[in-house]
Amino acid sequence: MIKMEKVTKVFKGDVVALRDVTIDIGKGEFVFLVGPSGSGKSTFIRLLNREEVPEHGRIFVAGRDIGGLSSWRVPYLRRNIGYVFQDYKLLQKKTVAENVAFALEAIGKGPHVIKRQVPAILELVGLSRKVDRFPYELSGGEQQRVSIARAFVNRPMILLADEPTGNLDPTTSVGIMRLLERINETGTTVLMATHDSSIVDSMRQRVVELDRGMVVRDQARGVYE
Amino acid sequence: MFSFRYVLRETGQNLWRNLLLAVATVITVGVSLAMFGGFLLFQRAVDSATARWEDGVEFIVWMNADVGSVEDAGIRNQLDESPGVLDWQYVDRLASYEEFRAFFEDTPEVLDIATEQEIPPYYRVVPVDPDPDVVEELGDQFKGRPGVRTVTFAGDVIRDVQNLSDRAGRVLFIGSIVLLAASTLLILNTLAVAIGNRRTEIEIMRLVGATKAFIRIPFMLEGLVQGLLGAAVAMTSNALLRNYVIDQFSDADGLRLLAGFKVDDAAMFQVNLLVLVIAVGVAVVGSYLAVAMHIND
Repeated sequence: MIKMEKVTKVFKGDVVALRDVTIDIGKGEFVFLVGPSGSGKSTFIRLLNREEVPEHGRIFVAGRDIGGLSSWRVPYLRRNIGYVFQDYKLLQKKTVAENVAFALEAIGKGPHVIKRQVPAILELVGLSRKVDRFPYELSGGEQQRVSIARAFVNRPMILLADEPTGNLDPTTSVGIMRLLERINETGTTVLMATHDSSIVDSMRQRVVELDRGMVVRDQARGVYE
Repeated sequence: MFSFRYVLRETGQNLWRNLLLAVATVITVGVSLAMFGGFLLFQRAVDSATARWEDGVEFIVWMNADVGSVEDAGIRNQLDESPGVLDWQYVDRLASYEEFRAFFEDTPEVLDIATEQEIPPYYRVVPVDPDPDVVEELGDQFKGRPGVRTVTFAGDVIRDVQNLSDRAGRVLFIGSIVLLAASTLLILNTLAVAIGNRRTEIEIMRLVGATKAFIRIPFMLEGLVQGLLGAAVAMTSNALLRNYVIDQFSDADGLRLLAGFKVDDAAMFQVNLLVLVIAVGVAVVGSYLAVAMHIND
């Protein structure tokens, strides 16, 4: 599903964010991306949805080399990739349902699709009773569930999550991880960058560790350290 | 795929969120375009009032309405043979009558009492030397000739009006260009604020796969609406200028010089069309620059 071949990303000032990264992630896998701050986790994720382009190497998503995509095709790539933010990035003036619907509206889906898919996804994330609430009326965990619902409402093949539990307490984090597990069970590939060792240790999924832009560990059913 | 309702809703919300800034932009665009439109209307009015005296024409030989062909030929011979005449143009009775109708189109009571047969043909004469004394002496040679009704001279007043019009027109033109540039920048800034206010929405739209056009069009439309509302302000101003200022000149008793100082419907339409095109141009340039500068791909 995701394949990187000798990928190197260098930012201005010769800052090497990723160096010679080669990795292969299969369909339906759940992968933790771990490593200290500045190790290249966020850059890794940003390269997958073409927010960044590598200086060297090739990146394949669903068998397609995304390095050669013209700019007008990038939005169509992103429709297959859900994105969950650490700080949720919910629209404060929209309700829960409107926040989720917004992701469908933005890709031109009609009202009938929105009416069918939004309630279903809110049921999945356990927020069907709070569809008309505004984000400021929700707890952090609930806001993150809205963010996940928005990322998954279009049923993407891949879900990228950048520190999704970074702002949450441990109990709430467990709930979010259960939700990501459920999504993964539907066949969606989940790639999650995290600093949370207890979550990684408890889930025993594949762990890819980055250090100064290089893959230093790739372990099936791994632990944080 | 576009949702028309979505685009309209987003455009409306953007305008509502920045209402005061949007109103300021509309007023600035409107005032700029009103100045530009005013400049054009003023030029048209002056052109209308001095049409007979353009291209160096310094005097006009008016013939009698019932002038015969022999008398007419005599005047032509005299014009051709006079060393002081550089050029001349004959305006026949029909053309003269058309001019008369255009002149008094807003005064049907005048049109009703005059027929084509009563309107005289005339000769517009360009002298070699435009010196007023020389022109007067040359024009006087035609007075009293068979078939000639009278001779009229451009005189200093006409030339002063034309000079004043040229200078005032230049000032208005430069002023309106500066203001139009300011309008473009104001639209750009208004949209930059709108884009800044919606930074999170734009980021989400990009990441869920919204196309570049889908993200940009509501902002472009917002700029276009501001431009069109500005054009509406300017067109209203044009109508007021025509009906309550320019027409007052032409109606003023005793101001014979300004009798033709008017803007007809065709000229008004052309000016309004130009104002509309410029408004759209200003809006498109301003909003394109705003989205190009402030929305990343």
